[in-house]
Amino acid sequence: MRGLGAAGLAGGAGVLAGRGPAGAQELTVPGSAEHHTGSQAAISHGGMGTVGTVDHARNGFTPQQLLTEFDPGVVSKDASGRTVREYEFVAVNKDIEVAPGVFFPAWTYNNRVPGPSIRATEGDRIRIRFINGTEHRHTIHFHGIHSARMDGVPGAGEVGPGETFTYDFIAEPFGTHLYHCHSLPLTNHIHRGLYGAFIVDPKRGRPEANELIMVMNAFDTNFDGENEVYALNTVAFAYMNEPIPIRRGELQRAHVINVTEFDPLNSIHLHANFFNLYRTGTKLVPDEFTDIISMGQAERHMIEFTYDSPGRFMFHAHQTEFVELGWMSFFEVS
Amino acid sequence: MLQKRRRLRAPAWVIGLAPLGVIVVLAGLFLAFNPIASLREVPPVEAVAVERTVFTEGGIELGIRNDGPDEVTVAQVLVNDAYRTYTISDQTLGRLDTATVSIPYPWDDGLPISIALVTSTGLTIPHEVEAATLTPEPNARTLGIYALLGLYIGVIPVVVGLFWLPALRRASHRWLGFYMAFTLGLLAFLLVDTVAEGLEFAAATAAALDGLLLFAISALTAVMGLVALGNGLRHTSDRGTGAPGQALGGLALAYLIAAGIGLHNLGEGLAVGAALAGGEVALGTFLVLGFAIHNTTEGLAIVAPLRTQTSRPSLWHLAALGAVAGAPTIAGAVAGGFILSPAWSAVAFGIAAGTIGQVIWTVGRSVGTAKGLTSGLGALGFVGGLVFMYTTGLLVA
Repeated sequence: MRGLGAAGLAGGAGVLAGRGPAGAQELTVPGSAEHHTGSQAAISHGGMGTVGTVDHARNGFTPQQLLTEFDPGVVSKDASGRTVREYEFVAVNKDIEVAPGVFFPAWTYNNRVPGPSIRATEGDRIRIRFINGTEHRHTIHFHGIHSARMDGVPGAGEVGPGETFTYDFIAEPFGTHLYHCHSLPLTNHIHRGLYGAFIVDPKRGRPEANELIMVMNAFDTNFDGENEVYALNTVAFAYMNEPIPIRRGELQRAHVINVTEFDPLNSIHLHANFFNLYRTGTKLVPDEFTDIISMGQAERHMIEFTYDSPGRFMFHAHQTEFVELGWMSFFEVS
Repeated sequence: MLQKRRRLRAPAWVIGLAPLGVIVVLAGLFLAFNPIASLREVPPVEAVAVERTVFTEGGIELGIRNDGPDEVTVAQVLVNDAYRTYTISDQTLGRLDTATVSIPYPWDDGLPISIALVTSTGLTIPHEVEAATLTPEPNARTLGIYALLGLYIGVIPVVVGLFWLPALRRASHRWLGFYMAFTLGLLAFLLVDTVAEGLEFAAATAAALDGLLLFAISALTAVMGLVALGNGLRHTSDRGTGAPGQALGGLALAYLIAAGIGLHNLGEGLAVGAALAGGEVALGTFLVLGFAIHNTTEGLAIVAPLRTQTSRPSLWHLAALGAVAGAPTIAGAVAGGFILSPAWSAVAFGIAAGTIGQVIWTVGRSVGTAKGLTSGLGALGFVGGLVFMYTTGLLVA
């Protein structure tokens, strides 16, 4: 009987002995095991940010390309001397790495999110041959002035799987615009990645500037009706980890477009600077001089600013939740 | 003749293994042709259980287990809806694999915190903590505190309860049935309590490990183990008394009750230790006192069968009974304090539940109806045991 008591105690001691080394091992894991660690930039933000790096080559586009590449199309003149810009858009399903290691099953125009940044001058004729390479119906709906036939909605230019439609319209009015899919259910077709910039320049032109495309987008990666990733041009923290290089004294012109789904507002705020705001980019004189502008979905503005001193300057959404979920960026002024 | 038969017949072990061989071949064919592959053309089913949460100075550590059917890759970590830098011991977890996630984070003491793991497919695995609080480190000091806690809520009350023995021995024979019934009522309460707690841990266990089955198997194993042990004890007592087939003697019965109560107290210790470490309860002086009063009755339950002994049991036996019933609380508190996974807790509670069930059966049978267990006084005793435990249990609720 005494033996039973002793066994009970020894059993208890065994539990302790067994827990001890296991606990110690768990504590040493961070030092001994293989890790993946964040970039220097992420670490310098007090632990905020994602861990690891996005494989831009696998995505098929880089944050720099999305920021600075405009697509003029294949340019020709018609009989009347009008400039004609022809494009081919293909709807393709593609998994896109929106944060390091996090893959979003995106629906894309031409394998990228946002789609190509169309650049035209007011009065140009735009012809877009749209091929649907997916199993869902899609459209391209342009924000601009055009006929009902070319509106890109169900019943007017909606394209079934494997089908083709050519959108044909005159680029007007000048300004910072966008295009997006208008098939139903709309929420899904937009937030999955079917959108892009449509920039129309005024005939008389604008002053020379370094032009940037900034599409404020977000991804509901777990499909619960709320976004898990916010970004400028798709990849979370892309321009925080690799700041946008700009030159001191050079005029910067950013076309900022909000396509964020599920949240009523997004915004852009520049640190240590103010900008001239051209609402929807439809005027030649600024509407406002400010350092923050909020936008609902499909609202977009043109902003102009200059940095006069070198250094690293933050810019981000001023919905701080979005900041910590990926919408945080830097200019590196030199 | 013998030689010839051997040549013709395969050895028994070959015949025994033949069905297994067939299964292996069939499994191979299934894997090679995979007829249900077309049914799996769906996204992977990702499930991760957070088994352990540790708050350190300026950081959080999670012990996670993949409890889904498919591989899971942890890509990012969200804390209160913000991406945070982190390290992980193993980023890709196969089925049932475990990993440790370490997140440097300036958490707020006493406030809720929500953590989410984001997998490679964008799935989020949420983990909510009601109140962040520093997890005790397993050093000599905290070990001592948990041991002391176990001593206070387990050992001391039980030992104190044992001192009811002299009073019991003086009580009239008429009351014996009452005391034994009281003991049974008390044990029945502990059984319900243990099963309820065990099922809670079973529910918290990683789904793939099936906590309910762990609990049930542990309980049934404990029952079978004790049946075997009981038979062994009976043989021993048979030799002593020379009365074969008789029910367990008073002392053996007391040890059996002590063992059952001890295992219950192991579970109680686990629960208290885990609650304390997890910051779920502020374990005040009142709570410790409550447990002490609650558990003192357990001593009474242990010595009740000794009422029938003709000779006074030695102090050694009393000490041993106290140790068997009380000491597991210490082990439980320490193990619970330093984070035992829910799966192991389900096993521990299963063993405790099985043991108590078996003890109730044995005690009930040993006392029998002859000694008035089913009399009015006996019924009063049984209900009294239940009510007493419930009432003192209110102190710790």
